[in-house]
Amino acid sequence: MAEAWTVEQVAAVAPSPRSVAAAEPLADGARWSALGADGRALWGRCRGSGAEPYDTMVDHVEVGWRCTCPSRKLPCKHALALLLLWVRGGVPEGSAPAPVATWIGARDRRSSPTPGSDGGTDEAPGSPRDAGDTGDDPETGADIEPSAPDRDDLDRSRDERVARMLEGLAELDRWLDDRMRTGLADPALARYDTWDRLAARLVDARAGAVANRVRRLAGLVGSNPDWHSDVLVELGMLHLVARAGRHLPELPGPLADAVAVASGWQVRKADVLAGVPDTDEWFVAGRSDVREDRIEVRRLWLYGTASRRWAMLLSFAAYQQVLDDSFTVGTVVHADLHRYPGGALRALAGDRFADPLPYVEPVPVGLAEACDLIGGAVAAEPWLERYPATVRATPTVQDGRWVLADADGSLPLLGPKRSLATLLAASAGEAVTLTVEWTPWGLQPLTVHLADRAIDVGPRADPSFVGAA
Amino acid sequence: MTDLDTYWRDLVTAAMLGTDRRDPPVPPDGPIADLVDDALRPDPGSRMLATVAAVAAARRAAFVPGPSADTLQPPEADDRPMCSPSAAATWRQIVSEWSVLEDEWMLAVIERGLRLSPDVLVEALARHRSDGVRRARVMLAGGAVARWLVGHVPELAASSSRRVAAEAVGELPALPMPPELDELRSLDAHTVARRLAGGFEDGRFGGPDRAVLVNLVARCRPAVLVEVAAALQGTGVGHALALADLARLRHRMLTELE
Repeated sequence: MAEAWTVEQVAAVAPSPRSVAAAEPLADGARWSALGADGRALWGRCRGSGAEPYDTMVDHVEVGWRCTCPSRKLPCKHALALLLLWVRGGVPEGSAPAPVATWIGARDRRSSPTPGSDGGTDEAPGSPRDAGDTGDDPETGADIEPSAPDRDDLDRSRDERVARMLEGLAELDRWLDDRMRTGLADPALARYDTWDRLAARLVDARAGAVANRVRRLAGLVGSNPDWHSDVLVELGMLHLVARAGRHLPELPGPLADAVAVASGWQVRKADVLAGVPDTDEWFVAGRSDVREDRIEVRRLWLYGTASRRWAMLLSFAAYQQVLDDSFTVGTVVHADLHRYPGGALRALAGDRFADPLPYVEPVPVGLAEACDLIGGAVAAEPWLERYPATVRATPTVQDGRWVLADADGSLPLLGPKRSLATLLAASAGEAVTLTVEWTPWGLQPLTVHLADRAIDVGPRADPSFVGAA
Repeated sequence: MTDLDTYWRDLVTAAMLGTDRRDPPVPPDGPIADLVDDALRPDPGSRMLATVAAVAAARRAAFVPGPSADTLQPPEADDRPMCSPSAAATWRQIVSEWSVLEDEWMLAVIERGLRLSPDVLVEALARHRSDGVRRARVMLAGGAVARWLVGHVPELAASSSRRVAAEAVGELPALPMPPELDELRSLDAHTVARRLAGGFEDGRFGGPDRAVLVNLVARCRPAVLVEVAAALQGTGVGHALALADLARLRHRMLTELE
């Protein structure tokens, strides 16, 4: 059986976040009959509003879908629901029925003559492959894939995606220009719709990461008395991403990769895992969970004890799904990590070579050195929103605000009150070693490292949203 | 405040009004001015946007500690050892799955001269803001750090100032159970295990008896727990398996706190 996709990948092929939301109620085994999956395809019959169930099939390897429903959206909510159900382990393995085998056979016949057409592209399960844009009329339920995906077609498809993204980034920059012209006092900024429409257009342009950033930015409007400054900074960051994205070919390799990722360019998981791994004894320094739209995102920060480089593992969970709990904060894991292009922080876990080693207390830096390290990372990629550091400092309260202080000065702390209280209790008024996550608004404590234990104080997903491990 | 910070404030003011009404402020001489000049932006809006991006990026990258801050007066020293990480994890399991054991866990910490770990302390203070007896136990187990912490984090303060009797704080509360189960508390491990397992196997015990059986397992002599857990596990009956889990957890809890 091929590796199941992630929810993130399903969300990425959806025409809009609304489509994922519409698919959620259908991702229930009770709505389906004749469900099955094999190493290539998924199939099933979904009870919908019509008299007859809809026959849905998905090619999860070469990425394609087919459904007898009348929807013009591609993939339709039934195909998305089938994918979500599969991701959650709700589709049993089986032998493909004749219509599915015929459909897959037809797809293979169309793609087989071209050597190398099954690899070497940037496209991925979950990547925004433009399935359907050139396909047959979806109302007939006919195949929606391009008819001859040879090398030229793949290149053309890639070029089209690049063109769409560049167009989206150009539109974003024009929109930002307009904001500068009309000013932040414009009442339109207080309406979520203003931002949501822009985000939707960026999703259409396959610039998903920028779209997410726009949606987060909407939440800053009016959030505190100084929101104009916060929003202005973020508009500046969006401009940098948009402008850098539009000049991608002129940028040096690693920066171009970083800009591509920041813009939302999808990279195939298999391609990341095929890269040369960073093998190290990784100290699992901290964890933080953040809800982004309808997805809970978990960041695990790992520090290479030999390489002295940070890496970040991401996991995602939609409602009642489980976040990755396989790394325990405070342990050391001898493992391969495969970084995303450009030597990115983000990585995927590869092979693990031994059981986790017992707890060790990490070597911290002072606040000034932490600022240097974080500042260096931010100078290289100004749009970074989080960066980790392990510091030794004293938590304290100054004029009603929580700060972390040492001989070099102080930095603001943020986070849930319980996290800060636990940090204070652990310190008992003295300096303590802790891993923090830098954000533009302050340091979020993630882990307090005592002599004999690590105390995980990072923000945790709402247990009523995510499922139990 | 640096020149860049002052300039940023000017930018925010101009951005609020918009370049239709106010021209972007002229950047101070230096790299930002050079960069914006290089951008050769014809219209004020795009010149403003380029300036905002450059200044925002420069300010972020120039991230340095702010002014020094006074640290808090530390609490009095507490020489008691901290409860182990595994004991803290067990407390978390108890409060989420078998809260009937929480009183005994907290009293065991106090009696064995341990103190609460910071994570348990904060969670327990937040959990028992209104229950005077349990809060008093948390304050005892937390020691000087607990009093100090509550002084600095008002959200953790008690919601009621009612005084509680010292005897109530030090005593494990009695749990109701019928006489025929109560008498099992004084019997040997083999007999208790046999009677409990036998009761499930011959159908005398079922769902309606769950609450009192939980009370029995939570208050029986610790010496019988291992044998009781094994016997209940062997029945394969759902309710008995849950009680076996409780017996094992209580045994682990008491062992960890020795």
